[in-house]
Amino acid sequence: MIVDINFVGLIVASIMASAVPLILASCGELITERSGVLNLGVEGMMIIGAISGFALMTVTGSLIIAVFGAMLAGVLISTIFAFLTQTLITNHVATGLALTIFGIGISAMIGKNFVGIPGKEFPVLFEGLKDTIPLLSPILFGHSIVFYFAFALPFITSYFLKKTKIGLIVRAVGDSPEAASNQGINVRFVRYACILYGGAMCGLAGAYLSMIYTPQWIENMTGGRGWIALALVVFSTWNPIKILIGAIIFGGLTIIQFHMQAIGVRIPVQFLTALPYIVTIIVLVVISRDSRKIRLSTPSSLGKSFHKDN
Amino acid sequence: MNTNLKISNVTKIYPGCIANDDVSLEFNSGKIYALLGENGAGKSTLVKILSGVVIPDEGKIYLNKNILKLNSPSDAKKNDIGMVFQHFNLFETLSVFENLIIDSDEQRESLREKIDTIMKKYNFSVDLDVPVLNLSAGQKQKVEIIRCLIRSPKVLIMDEPTSVLTEQETSELFLSLKKFSEEGILIIYITHKLKEVMQLCDEVAVMRRGKLVSVSQIDNENIESLANKMVGQDLKTIKKKKENTSSEQLIKITNLNFTSEDPFETNLVDINFSLNRGECLGVAGISGNGQSELFQVLSGEIISNKNSIEFNKNFIGDLNPQERREYLMAFSPEDRLEQAAIPQMAIFENVALNNFKSSNFFNNGLINESKIKEHSKKIISEFNVNTDNIDLKSQFLSGGNLQKLIIGRELITSPDLLICFNPTWGLDVGAINYIHETLIKINEQNKSIILISTDTDELLKLSDKISVIHRGRLSKIMNAEDVTSEKLGILMGGGN
Repeated sequence: MIVDINFVGLIVASIMASAVPLILASCGELITERSGVLNLGVEGMMIIGAISGFALMTVTGSLIIAVFGAMLAGVLISTIFAFLTQTLITNHVATGLALTIFGIGISAMIGKNFVGIPGKEFPVLFEGLKDTIPLLSPILFGHSIVFYFAFALPFITSYFLKKTKIGLIVRAVGDSPEAASNQGINVRFVRYACILYGGAMCGLAGAYLSMIYTPQWIENMTGGRGWIALALVVFSTWNPIKILIGAIIFGGLTIIQFHMQAIGVRIPVQFLTALPYIVTIIVLVVISRDSRKIRLSTPSSLGKSFHKDN
Repeated sequence: MNTNLKISNVTKIYPGCIANDDVSLEFNSGKIYALLGENGAGKSTLVKILSGVVIPDEGKIYLNKNILKLNSPSDAKKNDIGMVFQHFNLFETLSVFENLIIDSDEQRESLREKIDTIMKKYNFSVDLDVPVLNLSAGQKQKVEIIRCLIRSPKVLIMDEPTSVLTEQETSELFLSLKKFSEEGILIIYITHKLKEVMQLCDEVAVMRRGKLVSVSQIDNENIESLANKMVGQDLKTIKKKKENTSSEQLIKITNLNFTSEDPFETNLVDINFSLNRGECLGVAGISGNGQSELFQVLSGEIISNKNSIEFNKNFIGDLNPQERREYLMAFSPEDRLEQAAIPQMAIFENVALNNFKSSNFFNNGLINESKIKEHSKKIISEFNVNTDNIDLKSQFLSGGNLQKLIIGRELITSPDLLICFNPTWGLDVGAINYIHETLIKINEQNKSIILISTDTDELLKLSDKISVIHRGRLSKIMNAEDVTSEKLGILMGGGN
């Protein structure tokens, strides 16, 4: 059998495309968690982003308004979470779960009118270069701007956390909100900002799904990707580069198992469907097996409410 | 330039307690001031007010005659007030340098130079690029001090700085503080240790129950006079009678090892010792050198090799705490509200947790409440726990009462061996005295104690034999009479 080298390129490109929403949501959630806040509402924020993006696109016809509107929707819904957990000091876990349930419900309600409406074509970059280099061209060129942004994001996030003052403050707040507060850092403000940023990235991840990846609205179309994104953050031990690796493995196995099912490999379908989940977790656990490093990168105050008493 | 700091009529009320009651004090640079008081006397609240962490209900603070508005820690920093907290205020997972740069506006390079200058000047040596969790307590404190010095403060407040230090580190700290004072930094030193006040300070203010009791020159005071002012009554001193203890061996530890996977824990290496009936073995050491692991191994929270612990001629290394209790061991862990008692549960329920097969607290899986309550009342009256409500949640007991309850719960079954870990940690002098008397009484009843403590004075007072734990290794066992606190200090720091 001769394999067309460009076909391989196309498969790799589709793997990368499927990793995009995971990378966006995980990197957003990573910043939130690094500040010590556990927001389990990723799935809910993504689906809100997905319906908002799609609805705004249909109503206004503007892709720019739709993308930024989806991010804004993510920010708004995460503001609810921030207000509850940071101002009213509610439990992070329960509030996050409620956020997901709320998001799924309200997106289905808004989405009723948008079922069956075709999406718009999203402009891609560097399309002219698509045939220049075999194998690499389909991988590198002809994608949406969100795609390129997603693959830059882990590196930007890593640089932000390690090299910038604000990144240092975020890590400090996640390490010890008490000490940070005693140093004069406004813990609540930092955590609000991180939660809202996480919301924006989840909104963008949702918009990518409903506007670029599969341009249409289907109820519950995030299909658990929010939970995978959450798992990636934890199993990557809060390391953006490992999130990238994990997202690609997960995306890759999801695509490959589809092809395997299509070819008719005699492995039970259920096992193939489960494969991406199992392998991603195993790989991330193996590459993160350094308890010292885990200790250093785990936000010590994760999920704990901080209340400044006077 | 002289600095004058004035506290005027400061009051801070928390629900159920007046932390500061109309406190007025004045400080001038060039001197070292002690703020002395028992736990809960309000001294920590007062310095938290000075550092902007707590906002007072009433009263004003003046720096060089100007009124200070201290609404947040950054206000204190802006006004050149530096504070070294009792519980380190550092970010454990960040590097030393990251900890220092986080509240500095300077560029990396210029800050590094500045830190280097400070370290050379005061003879500090701390690696700037390791995470803080790798540092010893003494080094962590230096990081905190450097953090203050970077801002060239006018006022430096030290909140109980020696509680985690060895004798050597303490004297180094005192030298630095004297140097700072000569350079014109006003130093306020908070402590409940009288010896240190006499050694270091020029003036002393004593606080009791939120009120300022006295302000005096150190030359007019001595340890006894300060102690009486601090407690508000004359203290009786208790001494242990040294009697001939029996030679019957009760517990023998042979080649006990513990290797932890948690980088935050200390490994125990080749622990060997034995203890006779009626003896008290004191284990000294700076906290974090394996005390907590040693306690857990001895209590059975961490299970070890069966033959490594021989108790009353039984090998019990592989038994859990409940099973060890059946062999008449008893335990009083360090953290009263986390390990020894469950805060949300009533006193009598906490008593029931320590159930013996023989105690009949439970019948066919049902709680025998009247029996437990009767038992609890007995503990409360015998061990002087200051409450008559056994339905009270244990979190509402004061530290001293809770400790008495825990010790009482352990002792009422008359065990052969009591293992306790910092039993008087954070207690006031009255409660400490009571606990010490109780422990001495146990020894007099020919029962044994293993006392793991970071308080050297306590160990010298109560122990028959003393050993020092350093980095998970136990020094040789010494007779308490042959040991001085200086010698312990050297061993605690890893010397010979």
